[in-house]
Amino acid sequence: MRLAKTSGIAARLLSVFITLFGISVFIFIVLRVIPGDTITGSLGIETGVLTPEQIDDLKRYYGIDKPLLLQYFSWITSFLGGDLGFAYSTGVSVLTLTASSLPVTIELALFGTISGVIMGIAIGMFSAKKPGSARDFFGQLFGLLALAIPGFVLSTAIVTIMANKFGYFPNGYEYMTPWEDLWMNLQQMLFPSIVLGIAVAAPVMRTTRSALLETVDKDFIRTAFGKGLKNRTVQFRHVLRNSLIPIVTMTGIQFGYLLGGAVIVEKIFALPGMGRQILDAINKREYATVQSSVMIFAILFVTINLVTDIIYRRIDPRIK
Amino acid sequence: MISKKRFLVGGVALALIAGTLVSTPAKAASSELVIGSVLDIDKLDPHTSTNFATVRALGLVYSSLVEVGPGNKLKTGLASSWSFNAAGTQLRLVLREGVKFHDGSTFDAADAKASLERILDTKTGAAGRANLLTITSIVASGRTLTLNLSVPNVPILAALDGVNMAMLSSDDITAGKVGGSNKPNGTGPYKYVSWEPTQSVKFVSNPGYWMGAPKITNLTIRVIPNESSILSAMNAGTIQFGIVTDPLIAKQISTKSLKLFKVPALAYYALQLNTKVAPFNDKNVRLAIQCSIDRPEMIKTAMLGEGAVSGPITSPAYKSDPNARPCPKVDIAKAKEYLAAAGKSSGVTFKALVTSNGWATSVAMAQNLKAQLARAGITMDLDIVDQATYVPRWLGADFVATLANNGGRIDPDTMYTRYFTSTGNLNKVATYSSATLDANFLKGKSSGKTAIRTAAYTAISKELEDNAVWVWLATPYEYRVATKELKGFVALATGSLLPLRSASLG
Repeated sequence: MRLAKTSGIAARLLSVFITLFGISVFIFIVLRVIPGDTITGSLGIETGVLTPEQIDDLKRYYGIDKPLLLQYFSWITSFLGGDLGFAYSTGVSVLTLTASSLPVTIELALFGTISGVIMGIAIGMFSAKKPGSARDFFGQLFGLLALAIPGFVLSTAIVTIMANKFGYFPNGYEYMTPWEDLWMNLQQMLFPSIVLGIAVAAPVMRTTRSALLETVDKDFIRTAFGKGLKNRTVQFRHVLRNSLIPIVTMTGIQFGYLLGGAVIVEKIFALPGMGRQILDAINKREYATVQSSVMIFAILFVTINLVTDIIYRRIDPRIK
Repeated sequence: MISKKRFLVGGVALALIAGTLVSTPAKAASSELVIGSVLDIDKLDPHTSTNFATVRALGLVYSSLVEVGPGNKLKTGLASSWSFNAAGTQLRLVLREGVKFHDGSTFDAADAKASLERILDTKTGAAGRANLLTITSIVASGRTLTLNLSVPNVPILAALDGVNMAMLSSDDITAGKVGGSNKPNGTGPYKYVSWEPTQSVKFVSNPGYWMGAPKITNLTIRVIPNESSILSAMNAGTIQFGIVTDPLIAKQISTKSLKLFKVPALAYYALQLNTKVAPFNDKNVRLAIQCSIDRPEMIKTAMLGEGAVSGPITSPAYKSDPNARPCPKVDIAKAKEYLAAAGKSSGVTFKALVTSNGWATSVAMAQNLKAQLARAGITMDLDIVDQATYVPRWLGADFVATLANNGGRIDPDTMYTRYFTSTGNLNKVATYSSATLDANFLKGKSSGKTAIRTAAYTAISKELEDNAVWVWLATPYEYRVATKELKGFVALATGSLLPLRSASLG
């Protein structure tokens, strides 16, 4: 029994290792395949005025004169040793950059996910209570609209209306971390979290609705009602709890998506998060920044998946 | 009926939202200006910077020997006067007295010499090196700097303007304290305070500035990576100055509450044709393109009317006359004649390289040109790529045609020598050179007389347009938005923020 459990953990860890190794190779190759390098990314068309000697000097400086295999091993061994490299354009280490941008993205993704899950589950329950009714229609309409409205449209609309009509745009001020100015930080996170929350709420709402409708017809629910339990008790303790697995799965996926996919929202609300860090680095062909940042995301994503699996086991003891 | 508990919860929620809306921090003090910029700076070395944001920001910290002022006129900078010898092979500059670096050391000719030598050193990778290659020796003596040149080169004076020609402390150069994490030490109106990548760069006024301390004492360039958000921040009063490039955003600016500064840029848009490959190795095909394009229509639709028809030279003193080109107005019949002369009566098909994010209107312009060319039976397929992919392909002339947004200069020599002389380092990209062009560039470079230079650059412009080497289209505008309280600011075509040294708030 114990042996089976140990080999299960080992297999899981092996799959995590293979996934991360695959991602590291993939991102390394993709960056080298696309045209351009750190020199053209940094100097743009002015690269054309450099002499061949200057270009060779710069290649040596950026470490892109070495064979690809050597470049890969040099980066991956440094990464594993905790040295994430540094951004050539700014001279700042990727670790320092990430230490300031990752908390922004995690905070944004957390707020977005929490608000999305609250909205999604509430509207899903609201809809599922009377399928086919007017409330179900409006619930589903919300889901459809939330899925159809692009984040950048909603963000721009919020920013424009709040700034022009109410003279309110806290993101125009310098970004404040929670420990520098908690109140300002919460104001700066409010609207981006709502935008992301709406995007998360739609799939969570649809998943909740269908999971609840499937569960509510089960025998044990009829039994619970037959035992004379209150409707609210049955809804929350039995129906919702037994519908949680698909909702948790969807929430995990959405959280992972928000970690990597909040670039547009970060741009419009001027939040210095990881999305912007990676996008800027791709444009400048800052290899170390892109590779190390993507690996951090990959590690986070894999960790979230593991945590989701653990939560499954807590929710449903039948899952081993 | 609403229960007391629900009423209380609702009340608290409303109070929180209302509190959020009203409790914004105090707006900037009257002597503090916050500038919104989409781009962040990318380095602190003025000689190697090419990024617009870096050039703008470091232009506040560093000064150059000469400056470009309003009306694109060359004026004194750290050099208070200058003269050429009769042959145009020696430039003597007298440097301003009493100028100090931010660290308190005095600026003199030895600093100027060390700065120019640093630019010329290939190890520096300086962006402006190509413009100084005619310098054979530099002599520094007290406040006098003498540049000896291998050939007559009057335009070298204009080339001494800008951040890429910044004057640095010779001590800093010797100690290797330029760029990287070293604090910039210039002679400009603002002292560098700090830079937080992707967030902001901060400056304070330099009380010892040779023109007098700037009235705006604190200056912050804040990165807001979306122009629409910059406008919103201006409307909300959280920033006081905005750098805008998108005509769509510029058109939304309400001049009731904000000031809009709009000047024609020196930069220009052109459809670069690769004359080394088919079908553009045939001059008649290039001329067919020239005659098929309705520039005013492109400006009206794709650029929202925000631009002007342009010829090759945008330098104000030597500006090309767009009406002097073959087919100054769209002429489809003529275009078909040219196609027939090329033996391509049934039309031609080619692919144009277009950047998706190089500038705001790039794709709209390309789509408009594609539709216009179709009227003459010319099919232009669009190869749309991101800017980082576009740049290496442009540098390698890996295109049949490409829609480009190229920088302009106040002197045609520094603007085009690198493209259209046979030895120019961007001639591979230009794909065209000739003995007459070389001769005319030399004539323009060698003379200090306006009439001779005008004749040379008119001839250059004519040759380029008569052969439809590229199809020059239009120039955009440079936009600056400011609060109504900003006084004394003048926008420059170069995009420089230097006029803020004479501006005040309130």
